[in-house]
Amino acid sequence: MNVIEINNLTKYYGKERGIIDVSFNVEEKEIFAFIGPNGAGKSTTLRTLLALIYPTSGSAKIFGKDCIKHGPEIKKEIGYLPSEVFYYDKMKVIDLLNYSASFYQKDCGKRIKELTEIMDLDLHKNIDDLSFGNKKKVGIVQGLLHDPKLIILDEPTSGLDPLMQQKFFELLQEENKKGATILFSSHILGEVQRLCDRVAIIKEGKIIQLEKISALQENNYKKIKVETTANMDEDYFNIEGVSNLEVKQNIISFLFRGNINSIMKKISEIEIINVWIEEPDLEEIFLHYYEKGA
Amino acid sequence: MNVFMREMKANRKALIIWSLGMILLIASSMGKYAGLSASGQSINELLAQMPQSLKAIMGMGTFDLTMATGYYGVLFIYVAMMATIHATMLGANIISKEERDKTAEFLFLKPISRNKIITSKLLASVVNILIFNLVTFVSSILMVQKYSKGEAVIGDITRLMVGMLFLQLIFLFIGTAIAATSKHPKNAPPLATGILLFTFMLSIAIDLNNRIENLKYLTPFKYFDAKNLMYARGFEPIYVILSVIIIVVLFRVTYVFYENRDLNV
Repeated sequence: MNVIEINNLTKYYGKERGIIDVSFNVEEKEIFAFIGPNGAGKSTTLRTLLALIYPTSGSAKIFGKDCIKHGPEIKKEIGYLPSEVFYYDKMKVIDLLNYSASFYQKDCGKRIKELTEIMDLDLHKNIDDLSFGNKKKVGIVQGLLHDPKLIILDEPTSGLDPLMQQKFFELLQEENKKGATILFSSHILGEVQRLCDRVAIIKEGKIIQLEKISALQENNYKKIKVETTANMDEDYFNIEGVSNLEVKQNIISFLFRGNINSIMKKISEIEIINVWIEEPDLEEIFLHYYEKGA
Repeated sequence: MNVFMREMKANRKALIIWSLGMILLIASSMGKYAGLSASGQSINELLAQMPQSLKAIMGMGTFDLTMATGYYGVLFIYVAMMATIHATMLGANIISKEERDKTAEFLFLKPISRNKIITSKLLASVVNILIFNLVTFVSSILMVQKYSKGEAVIGDITRLMVGMLFLQLIFLFIGTAIAATSKHPKNAPPLATGILLFTFMLSIAIDLNNRIENLKYLTPFKYFDAKNLMYARGFEPIYVILSVIIIVVLFRVTYVFYENRDLNV
């Protein structure tokens, strides 16, 4: 069953492009990531789904119901974490959470307690006094306190320290095991790879790739930079699987995809000063999708 | 109900401060009347010699300043000004603040329709305005009675306060309608107060210059003029009908536009 169905969703802000013809489905109990650089249309898609803004054309369904027409009804089962968390002035954490809970026709007291313990949150502090990361934690508790069936997160981990990120991911995975479907946007490939089943890649308002994360991992790109003692022949590293090759005097950088041993052998055969092997960031992966003409 | 309570709480402090300001305005102004009335009839003679334009600017017009109610009639335009500023700001802010403070992503993600959110907010605003009107009403009666030498004050003041309530409602909904239609909610409060000041200045300009008298329909301040309410014609049907139409139209505009526009998030 599809929890989210998006059909040809298009949004223009006046003449400015938001998203164009976005279509994808999110299945029940799936963890689905939505990735792309800043300004690609991630937030626009999420906000249209949540009826904060209205589509120019196309439609979307959540739980089989139109997301605009049945917005209030659908939202009973949605938990949302915005990328930046803002709350009302002069409110204590507990007041905000109780206010949030008052919109749902169920008792959320127990869940609030559990979640604040996991997130290590002081309920009696003023929200104004909290740091960005702690506000985010309030946002997490606030988004999950009513045991939503669909959790939507917009760049969820920005502002959280690594330990909290870890806890938060565990929490999400637990919710997922209990049956929650999760849709989140991100531009950090690491968190996407760790968490999700499928991924949609968006660029300039259009979906350019829709893939299982396992497939993305097969495209195991490495970003390699080598500093050599002497200037090298430019074509030394131009072997199968190498792309974006750049040579600047004795510093050579490129992306590599394929059997890692073959490139390591190549590196070991020359005299080097330093070597960097990193996960490429998303932009670089994107370049590949373009080169492939995808 | 929860949004209503939240708004009542959020506006409580401001309402208290506005109310104290209003009480202070009335008390201090009526205090000056005590000194004025001691000089007896001579004040009216003095005023008779004052040029009409100066009297218009001061809002004195044809009031009998030897009477406490007459003096209050002069004061009324300032009282009404204060009440309408309160109403305008309240209306513009209560709608636009969710976007301004970026709490829209919280509130509009709750299982509650925009329609209901506006209803709760408008209800809270109207209650705030009623309380403010009541505070003004009670403190006016107490202060004017204190200085009146047995004249009847309640009738005049009640009429003025009903007129003020109309003004408050008109400007409240000017505020909400602007906030609901505006693409940039941050601009709503200054824009709404700009309209308020313009109509206020216009009402004074009309007093100064008879030739633009026909513009009186453009400024609600002329609909509920203290002179008319106290001495002459009372509530004129044309103005009451006009007020009701304006209120209903702005009320609908607030709902329809807010319902159908993109939120600034």
